[in-house]
Amino acid sequence: MNSNLNKYLPLTESTAYILLALTEPLHGYGVMQKVKVVSENTVNIGPGTLYGALSSLEVQGLIVKAGETDRRKMYVTTDKGRQLLAEHLRRLEILVKIGSRKENS
Amino acid sequence: MSTMRRFHWFWAWDDEKEEKWLTEMAKNGWHLKKVEFPGSYKFEQGTPRNIYYRLDFFTDHKKKQDYLQIFNDAGWEHVQQYGSWQYFRKEALQGEEPEIFTDNESKVKKYGCLIALMVIFLPILMISTNRLNRRDETIYAIAAFLGFLLMLLYIYAMLKLIRRVGQLKRK
Repeated sequence: MNSNLNKYLPLTESTAYILLALTEPLHGYGVMQKVKVVSENTVNIGPGTLYGALSSLEVQGLIVKAGETDRRKMYVTTDKGRQLLAEHLRRLEILVKIGSRKENS
Repeated sequence: MSTMRRFHWFWAWDDEKEEKWLTEMAKNGWHLKKVEFPGSYKFEQGTPRNIYYRLDFFTDHKKKQDYLQIFNDAGWEHVQQYGSWQYFRKEALQGEEPEIFTDNESKVKKYGCLIALMVIFLPILMISTNRLNRRDETIYAIAAFLGFLLMLLYIYAMLKLIRRVGQLKRK
């Protein structure tokens, strides 16, 4: 994996879910709704947190603008963002693997 | 509809106290109409409601429309802007307290933005106070003294905010 992505890790839970939600183009509110559903209501992102996260992710080149709908900007995860998310998930999987082994022992 | 004006001073590091106070006022049927100047709030009487107030600090006016759109979509009413402070409110659904910042990282960022702005303005304040101090007339001496007090308050505010960030980071 691209070693310069390491500086973004570990991702916060909200950031990871935003990158995941934006694998398809969505506007801000769409992201909030999708995260709520796919996280089975465990993660709720407020508008202040979301706006800040979208701005920094865009500056970092992890998401880009993908047009507009009803005056709302749409965003989508870039290849760099996808790579980062994949690495984050790989690390989480390791954690889950050890964690569940411990639980069973 | 009756209105009333209330004076209540809040420091920049006490924004959560201000939110709580406005929320309490709404519970008693007094809804914020306008912040007229720092410390002066105009309220309008209505039915008591469970409305939560939240303050954000936002300076990027070019992006304000996108910013407000997200809050609006999420059900937050933008009551007004005062300086760079944005006043939002939202009715509580099923007794759940709504939040605009849902993690500590983003709360830290909000205060970080405020601190950064203060750091930029501090030298300006210092230089102008210093200039006034070089003049002889009494009026300048008084102005320089006030400037000096303002500078102390300013530094105190910065330390308070930095402490607040420290507390959030330890959470």
